[in-house]
Amino acid sequence: MADSDDEYVQDISDDEVEAHQVTRGAGAGSRATGQGSRGAGWEVTRTWENVVEGADGTISSTVDGLLEAAKRKRLLKDTTPLQRGIIRHLLLILDLSLAMSEKDLRPTRYLLTLRYTTAFITEFFEQNPISQLGIIGTRDGLAFTLSPLSGNPNDHIANIQKLRTQEPIGQPSLQNALDMARAALFHAPTHTTREVLILFGSLLSSDPGDIHTTISALVSSHITVQIIGLAAQVAICQTLANRTNPSLPLSKTYTVALNEQHYRELLMRATTPPTTTHSISEGGGVRSSLLMMGFPSRIVDSSPTLCACHSRPTRGGYLCSRCSSKVCSLPTQCPACGLTLILSTHLARSYHHLFPLRNWKEVNWARASSSDQRCCFGCQTAFPERPMGASTLRRQSFGGQTRDRMAMHTTRGKPSASKHSVKDVSMASVSKDGVSESGRYECETCGRFFCIDCDVFAHEIVHNCPGCQSREGMLLAAGAENGNEMVILAEAQKG
Amino acid sequence: MNAVDGSDHYTKTSDEPPPSLLTIILDTNPHAWALLSPTLPLSAAIANLLVFVNAHLAFNNANRVAIIASHTQRAEFLYPLPAQETSSHTNGSAPQNGFDNDVEMADDGEPTVPPLSDDANHYRPFRLIQTTLLTALTTLLKTTPPSSLTPTTSIAGALTLALTYINKTTLSLSTTTSSTAPNADTTLAAETAPPALNPRILILSVSGDLAHQYIPIMNTIFACQRLSIPIDIAKIAGDTVFLQQASDATRGTYIKLDHPRGLLQYLMMGFLPDQTNRKYLVPPTAVGVDFRAACFCHRKVVDVGFVCSICLSIFCSPPEGAICLTCGTHLQLGEYGGKPVVVARKKKKRKNVEDGKGKDAT
Repeated sequence: MADSDDEYVQDISDDEVEAHQVTRGAGAGSRATGQGSRGAGWEVTRTWENVVEGADGTISSTVDGLLEAAKRKRLLKDTTPLQRGIIRHLLLILDLSLAMSEKDLRPTRYLLTLRYTTAFITEFFEQNPISQLGIIGTRDGLAFTLSPLSGNPNDHIANIQKLRTQEPIGQPSLQNALDMARAALFHAPTHTTREVLILFGSLLSSDPGDIHTTISALVSSHITVQIIGLAAQVAICQTLANRTNPSLPLSKTYTVALNEQHYRELLMRATTPPTTTHSISEGGGVRSSLLMMGFPSRIVDSSPTLCACHSRPTRGGYLCSRCSSKVCSLPTQCPACGLTLILSTHLARSYHHLFPLRNWKEVNWARASSSDQRCCFGCQTAFPERPMGASTLRRQSFGGQTRDRMAMHTTRGKPSASKHSVKDVSMASVSKDGVSESGRYECETCGRFFCIDCDVFAHEIVHNCPGCQSREGMLLAAGAENGNEMVILAEAQKG
Repeated sequence: MNAVDGSDHYTKTSDEPPPSLLTIILDTNPHAWALLSPTLPLSAAIANLLVFVNAHLAFNNANRVAIIASHTQRAEFLYPLPAQETSSHTNGSAPQNGFDNDVEMADDGEPTVPPLSDDANHYRPFRLIQTTLLTALTTLLKTTPPSSLTPTTSIAGALTLALTYINKTTLSLSTTTSSTAPNADTTLAAETAPPALNPRILILSVSGDLAHQYIPIMNTIFACQRLSIPIDIAKIAGDTVFLQQASDATRGTYIKLDHPRGLLQYLMMGFLPDQTNRKYLVPPTAVGVDFRAACFCHRKVVDVGFVCSICLSIFCSPPEGAICLTCGTHLQLGEYGGKPVVVARKKKKRKNVEDGKGKDAT
């Protein structure tokens, strides 16, 4: 992505970008939130009108701006540390009825669902290593267990792969599936969440009895139901989502996928552990408790021995810390004594949900020029320099320092520049989807600037701020404690 | 699935292996290196490292390298540096000074680093790295005030920097995939696209563990796991459980150097092959890995512990009053302490057996 392109967006298209964001935001919002009032009005978003040709006759600059906005949009999530249900019990209900063979989602709803479900399973266990997942399918008016509640992603994926050879058939039955899910979650301990996620492609449900009694039963057993629709909004789903999640808005619990990408986003959103609300914990849904867990060490035998979980001869494995039976993989429950066996690293994997990295702030040109940081702290990529004015659209972004400094001074000196910066400030405060005009994003804790790629990467994958982790004085407090230990260690090494 | 939507032909890869990006994290804690100086002075280690880097670059024309210093209280890039910094240094006489200072540090007086003149016989990329690295290192050590000389190292910061750099380099190399699928999840793109780059991280570690960096280090380890970046550890001194777990979780190599003097040998033999080559080799790895956890209350190493369901803190025994020491939640003890119903019956059986045995014996 050429830097000059970014600049171009930033300096000419204040209005364009804004217009863009508003239309996009409003469009998405109305579709997402306004589903309750569907039919209120069909809104046409003329996205093509927002694409403006650049001075060089291409639209790459606008496209780049859009890309950045899209990247950033995903990031801006709530980062207040909340109490979350880290240990989850989730049942995934897949609609396998005839409606799933529609081709509005490519290649078909059915195949896309299977593909996304596989990704979902991997991601779910990535994010919730000590949780349990089960999968229920519904077709031909019946519900059946596709994959029983367990903590092993490979089993689930294998079971999902088996579905590929089958065809969607008949009508779905929400009631049967929900009853089955309720039975499966009946034994879930009180300290875990009880969740159901439905991927629903049909517009009807063929039920043997009154589904409202089932919904009441779900409410009384503190099961929350989330639904992702693939076709259109269905009244019973809305009721179901509303009644089982009284404290959450409908936009978070019942959503209809607009396209393949949106479908994926909705599905992946369910991998984040839900926040535990007080109403639930008081009502007895989620109660905290102390769990006994084993932290086994890995062993390698000289000769293969049978493992307790699959009865297969293996050489490596983990020994249960209580009963010393050998299991192949972690996390799991010891098949002999039932102790939860886990790696301490699995626990650590959930810590970023509990201590999330704060969102980084957009940096306007005034702030950017007050700092002497010329390149991204994370990846050493040079930042775009402040443009001279609206007429100068292109420049060398990797040019020598002197040239850039000159540019700085001239912009500052111009009367129009001050006007510009005032506009910038207002722009920064107004901008909704958080695209930084200077291409910089600032961590408010350490005050360092980062590029958009590092911003996305740090928030989505590493969950660390590179600046805060390598800051002076960070380690002072802890240094004193470890000092003696360290010297002793080093001396031992010497001797 | 690709066969269905006809995208099979997109995933074809070229025959030649992708270039590899070697990110070296050098622990530059002056304390630890001072203690090591009788066996392996820093200058000798740098000289060895440079030979290793040159070997890596000589492997493939497109191979890249990045070197990050994990200093006492900060992490900094040593190579590559942002454009203006290198230009300002190479213009002045800084590199020459840097080199001189480095030689002064060499207690053995062994002139391990070849002189830095404009040697026509010196391959330019090699010289560039050497100059930049030595200059940056000298500046780093010069600008370290005595007050900040704590025996710690910011390995978490260095790892995070390494990851952001790897991410950016990978992105810039696979621009085509990222622009065609703008909305695709970054991780998905990374998984499905053929690897444009084979990144790996090598840590030359001389100091011990830092308990307060636990969470950031773990975060970086999981990131590496997701992106399948192996973390190799060359443990020159000190002892770390975290780094051992890091290399194990990311399928890297962990070597504890028994003879630090032979650093170059270890580097060349253990760490030179990249991910593609490692498939065909038997890597030197530790057999057993200690996965036991340290409890939050007494720092005892436990193999059976109690975990708070809210904040996942580990305790060696149920805390007093059943209140979590970290988050203050009142916890239910569950079945702990309660006797299982089967116990009574089992005892009877055992008694019988024991009685029987006793009778036999008597």
